[in-house]
Amino acid sequence: MTLLRFIPMGFFQWCEAVWPGHWIREATWIFAITETIHIMVLAVLLGTIFVVDLRLLGMGLKRRSAAQLAKDLMPWTLTSMVLMVLTGIPLFMSEAVRLADSVPFFYKMFFLALALITHFTIYRSSTQPGRAEGAGLGKVAACLSLACWFGVAIAGRAIAFV
Amino acid sequence: MHYILEFCQWLNGTSWSTYIREGDYPFPIIESFHVIGLAFSVGVIMWLDLRFLGLVMRDEPIQSLVEQLEPWAMGGFLIMFVSGALLFLSEPMKCYNTLAFRLKVIMLILTGLNVMYFHAKLYARLPEFDKLPTPPWQLKMVGIVSFVFWFGIIVAGRWTAYF
Repeated sequence: MTLLRFIPMGFFQWCEAVWPGHWIREATWIFAITETIHIMVLAVLLGTIFVVDLRLLGMGLKRRSAAQLAKDLMPWTLTSMVLMVLTGIPLFMSEAVRLADSVPFFYKMFFLALALITHFTIYRSSTQPGRAEGAGLGKVAACLSLACWFGVAIAGRAIAFV
Repeated sequence: MHYILEFCQWLNGTSWSTYIREGDYPFPIIESFHVIGLAFSVGVIMWLDLRFLGLVMRDEPIQSLVEQLEPWAMGGFLIMFVSGALLFLSEPMKCYNTLAFRLKVIMLILTGLNVMYFHAKLYARLPEFDKLPTPPWQLKMVGIVSFVFWFGIIVAGRWTAYF
């Protein structure tokens, strides 16, 4: 299963031809720097997600409620998500044609979509203030969230291998 | 320092090293653990570092934050250490010859010293520090060193593939 099944090759070729994709293809060190930022922000993003997920499962920072923790870490979560997208798009565009045919990349996008949907639906409602602690929905949200984000990370790493 | 080179050469020839290096699956699987482990290790410790800098959860006493987060961070660093050792084992000569990796090791050692300093000199004084309006300079120093170095370690780790 690859993106090519859903999106025509013309789109990927266009991505490589326009300036962010084309520019990064020409200068490998820009790719390296963008990718490095992508990985550093990944550590921050996974850190915020992980701490709140642990809390929803009743572990880690037990003194604070999940709602409070999510609220404290929200700026970091959102900022790192934005930075991941801002660095991810140029990285994608620079080798769009290869990624069109890449199975790991498809799954990365699949898990990413699932992670974002989980995050902005059941995860968000589980961390509303006043929500009962240890509620089942929170545990489901936490497990789903962890599984999806780790899926993104593993699939992302596999892109280079396959 | 010649013994380091000899050690790397010897490691390179062991059957374990060859197994991880030449198989299709061991290296990617171990490396996945190493990357995921980033969330458990740096992803957890950065909250402590940011707290030391007084940037997050300012109403939470530092001591309680350390007590709650440290077990998870330790687990995470254990994963990183074991997976990292196995990755190094699979290509010791490449690591030895790579500037980025040497810098990574130096930074890891310095970061370890930073943690030891925190536990030896500052941990006992946390109740006293928690009474201050902002964290004292010693904690801020530990926080900055840790934060900067861990990200430097991540960068150096990625660049090991390049030079």
